[in-house]
Amino acid sequence: MSAVDMRVRIGDLELRNPVMTASGTFGSGREYAEFVDLSRLGAVVTKGVSIEPWSGNESPRIAETPCGMLNSIGLQNPGVEAFCANDLAWLAAQDVPVIVNVVGHSVDEYAAVAAQLDSEPVVSALEVNISCPNVDAGGMAFGTTCAAAAEVTRAVRAETRKTLVVKLSPNVTDIAEIARAVEAEGADGVSLINTLLGMAIDTRTFAPKLARGVGGLSGPAIRPVAVRMVWEVARAVAVPVIGMGGVTCAEDAAEFMLAGAAAVAVGTANFVEPSATLSVIDGLERFCAERGIARVAELTGAAWPERGKRET
Amino acid sequence: MTCGAHRPAVEKATVAANDRMARGVGVVTLKAPATAAAIAPGQFVHLRIAEGADFILRRPFSVYRAHGGHLEILYQVVGVGTRALSEAAPGTAMDLIGPLGRGWWVPEGAAHALLVAGGLGVAPMGMLVECLAQRGVAVTLAHGAPTSERLLARELFEANCRRVELATDDGSAGACGFVTALSEEIIAADRPDVIYACGPEPMQRTVAAQATAAGVPCQVSLERLMACGIGACLSCVVSTRDGRKRACVDGPVFDAADVLWEPSEDPEVRA
Ligand SMILES: Cc1cc2nc3c(=O)[nH]c(=O)nc-3n(C[C@H](O)[C@H](O)[C@H](O)COP(=O)(O)OP(=O)(O)OC[C@H]3O[C@@H](n4cnc5c(N)ncnc54)[C@H](O)[C@@H]3O)c2cc1C
Ligand SMILES: Cc1cc2nc3c(=O)[nH]c(=O)nc-3n(C[C@H](O)[C@H](O)[C@H](O)COP(=O)(O)O)c2cc1C
Ligand code: FES
Repeated sequence: MSAVDMRVRIGDLELRNPVMTASGTFGSGREYAEFVDLSRLGAVVTKGVSIEPWSGNESPRIAETPCGMLNSIGLQNPGVEAFCANDLAWLAAQDVPVIVNVVGHSVDEYAAVAAQLDSEPVVSALEVNISCPNVDAGGMAFGTTCAAAAEVTRAVRAETRKTLVVKLSPNVTDIAEIARAVEAEGADGVSLINTLLGMAIDTRTFAPKLARGVGGLSGPAIRPVAVRMVWEVARAVAVPVIGMGGVTCAEDAAEFMLAGAAAVAVGTANFVEPSATLSVIDGLERFCAERGIARVAELTGAAWPERGKRET
Repeated sequence: MTCGAHRPAVEKATVAANDRMARGVGVVTLKAPATAAAIAPGQFVHLRIAEGADFILRRPFSVYRAHGGHLEILYQVVGVGTRALSEAAPGTAMDLIGPLGRGWWVPEGAAHALLVAGGLGVAPMGMLVECLAQRGVAVTLAHGAPTSERLLARELFEANCRRVELATDDGSAGACGFVTALSEEIIAADRPDVIYACGPEPMQRTVAAQATAAGVPCQVSLERLMACGIGACLSCVVSTRDGRKRACVDGPVFDAADVLWEPSEDPEVRA
């Protein structure tokens, strides 16, 4: 195979390839170490971490839906201190960039988590999650208005010089507007989409399938929505976009990049195939090689009308 | 006995046989030599039943028996996945992740064990009963089901148990009523050294209470909906005295004394 330059940049961070893990679907990486050589990944994105431990929602927390799933995990996590002592300590010994997903019930909590992580050398970047649909206070509430999204971004930016990515909610009328608001406050990149708010009801018991009632939809079912949103955001901001939502294979990843993503994340597909990230990486390299594309970054935005149609 | 000492891996299995046992219940035999050699009683596999279907997640199944490079799984058809499993013809490829989870353990010095199974609760008990018999532990099985046709795998249990007591909801075999009436009597009369329970959660909970009252250690195998099966997604949590645990790696077998059965017992549930 001809050598394809797979490197991409997100802010100051150079990744060896554009494929990372989606927060909350890969634990801290340790759970997948039996199945995936982590040093081959573009980055590991950890589950969301808050200041205090959060116990998450009641069970059932998941329900399968056509080509996807609903989850209402509710950001269960051990709190930033235990996270640093256990998960980050383990990740420090792995040869892979680490992006930590940050959550909070308040602007101050986001800022406090960011401040604590800023002093951890193993952390390459922060991904500020203003888009979790599964908590009552905080979470998605910060991602659905420009003012709140800007406020969280400003507060976190003030606490860290690390690469700062803001994770956007699809549960809004105009996602590009939110993207512009966080870019203006100093975000080095944006990631999207988080899960789409959804619901499923058991027609046998007449009760919602999730204990919480509503949850977030992920998996291949949401991919067309995600690709559309990546397209809109990438055309609206100058910072790099990390695209996700139903990526299962190299073609799916390429689709996000053609829409304008600089990198992609694999989420629900990890549950189906624990080594899904590796087949996406290998497949993407092959995809480029077969088409004479020397640098994977050339795919970014290649479907935009001003780039012209590709000769086939 | 240490369970779960082997690391999980993805194995490309093939269906060797798939037989109907009763209405809506079957036993599938999978050729999966690596997992069969490594799996311990009470552990499970995460099965990718079909590719290209509109259901994408794997399904967890206990391993009933493992021998000669093969796994036997007892299944009940309850939805799309188990329906597809019931239709899988010999030769079908089906990849699995296994062995997974923490299985049953045998307490030091146990001489007499009581197994309490409700319906398909016998599914994770085949390997267990063989293992106990091999170690010279006397086993009593109390098995309940809706009807006699659902009292599965009687030969295996009759061959390996000192005593088998049956109960059916309709009285078509054994006592008429719940298996928990049998377990209560047996615990009082025989005072076993250890109790193993699997079946519907209310049944397990009743058995756990009987065990506590009698001062007998009790293990339960709990079911939760599972996405990853390997500890990453936190879909499968069980409330315990020691916080929320993942059924897929910290279980599915738990010490019944640690389990908080009611949400109201769980301090982590916000009022
Ligand atoms: C550790 C473990 C071991 C298991 N071992 C066995 C086994 O040996 N044999 C066996 O037949 N089944 C076993 N199960 C249950 C089995 O995984 C489910 O029945 C199966 O996933 C259902 O898939 P489906 O697509 O047919 O049903 P779905 O279409 O997904 O669901 C149909 C209905 O079944 C219910 N259901 C689905 N999954 C579960 C579950 N895990 N527990 C209770 N209700 C459920 C749903 O709420 C729904 O009402 C086990 C589960 C766990 C967690
Ligand atoms: C079980 C589960 C847990 C998740 N937890 C988080 C989380 O903690 N933080 C976050 O930003 N996104 C979380 N997500 C969203 C994913 O990171 C991702 O944005 C979404 O699932 C879409 O990608 P996918 O279709 O590839 O899964 C979670 C998703 C799932 C399915
Ligand atoms: S099923 Fe994912 S943590 Fe248990």
